Amino acid sequence: MITTERKKALLTAMQKLEAYREIQNEMGRTVAAFNFRQADAVLRHFALDAEGVSLEYCDEGVFKGAENVESIIREVVGAPVKPGEMLDLQLTTPMIEIADDLQTAKCLWWVTGAGAIPQEDKDPMAIWAWGQVAADFLFTDGEWKIWHLHYFRFIKCDYKKGWVDDTSMINRLNTPLHPQADTCTYHNPYSPTGIREGLPCAPKPYSTYTRDDLGWELDRNKNW
Amino acid sequence: MLNIDIHDFDLLTDEEFESLEAETARLTSAWQVQNMRGCAAIFWDDQRIGEKRHELKALKHPGVDVAAEMAFRMKPVVDSLEGNSLVHPLTTPIIEVDPTNTKSRSLFWSLGVEGLSKFREKPTAIISIGMVPGANVVEDGEWKMLWGAWQRTTKNEYHAGWVESMIPTNTRPPLTPEEDKARLGRFAYQKDELRKPVPEPPRKDTWEKFPDEMDPQWQFINL
Repeated sequence: MITTERKKALLTAMQKLEAYREIQNEMGRTVAAFNFRQADAVLRHFALDAEGVSLEYCDEGVFKGAENVESIIREVVGAPVKPGEMLDLQLTTPMIEIADDLQTAKCLWWVTGAGAIPQEDKDPMAIWAWGQVAADFLFTDGEWKIWHLHYFRFIKCDYKKGWVDDTSMINRLNTPLHPQADTCTYHNPYSPTGIREGLPCAPKPYSTYTRDDLGWELDRNKNW
Repeated sequence: MLNIDIHDFDLLTDEEFESLEAETARLTSAWQVQNMRGCAAIFWDDQRIGEKRHELKALKHPGVDVAAEMAFRMKPVVDSLEGNSLVHPLTTPIIEVDPTNTKSRSLFWSLGVEGLSKFREKPTAIISIGMVPGANVVEDGEWKMLWGAWQRTTKNEYHAGWVESMIPTNTRPPLTPEEDKARLGRFAYQKDELRKPVPEPPRKDTWEKFPDEMDPQWQFINL
């Protein structure tokens, strides 16, 4: 006789597997839209109706709330595309934990990337653009959507020079922070004098997302 | 969308239910192995030695040389962590979990980048391409690495490229080119050699053909 508990456990396991696949697909679609500079498509993957939706991008700050998330994505992703411009981010190394209640997921990918930045009066500059993306997904209205997204820069450099010789693009210029941004929570790209810290960390199994879970990717405790 | 509830399981015989349950558990295991190996990649980039960390290795398995593992973890191979980085993203996953759902074989390919500064000199930018073949077992209720060595394809100074440059594994004392080629460089790219098809990805019947989880021979069946 198969117990009800076993049946419930199997159903949850099957639903988690399905969520795992759906979340990878959703994040893949989001990155494709980001690479292709399709702001509307990127925004469709965000849980804009959810309380606390946010986007943090390297050292550019944290954009909290639907209005600010929408604004920065339209501003950056939706900017006019220039000839010779290219961004090709690719998701690798997926680390994904779905909550036991199947309402949220904590995810981390390592991102490899190449790009080309148009320049005045000369050919575009070929660049490397690698990083990590931590994301919380929320199951809302029958779909998995991005609730909190945090992109960490690892390297951004002139392809010809490489990540040791060119650190000119790893930190933002000393210009005013975007007026809609809050201070960034972490920024530690590769530099010849920097030290890696194991951040963002991998998500750990969990039951239900609580307020304390926000920012789990910056947990420095490696001995859990 | 999975449109079932637990009452749908009543349509299955006990045998069918158990088969579905076992297969679901094995699929979940492949996912957990991928998570665990990703965490190991994070720890690999963060090269602090002697730091207390969540144990990702199956140290209770009789096949693991715990003393050697602990000695390896305490041994510095660079003077300072400044400028040092080992980012080996995991791609192309091939994971075969055995029917008992207690052991698995995994293989990932990797296109990685590194920064290496051995004696506080300006770091060398390195392109590091390779594979991560390995075995994993369940210990204390979670998947842990039983073994899993990096197999180098390239480790080259960035500007020189992989045809012209091959940097040996950084050890103290340093390896000779011959020693390096006998270890992690055994199957590395060489401009004057035919490439050997190693490792062979774990096949569907890997656990029938190679039942011992310590047996690494499944990688070498093409030789």
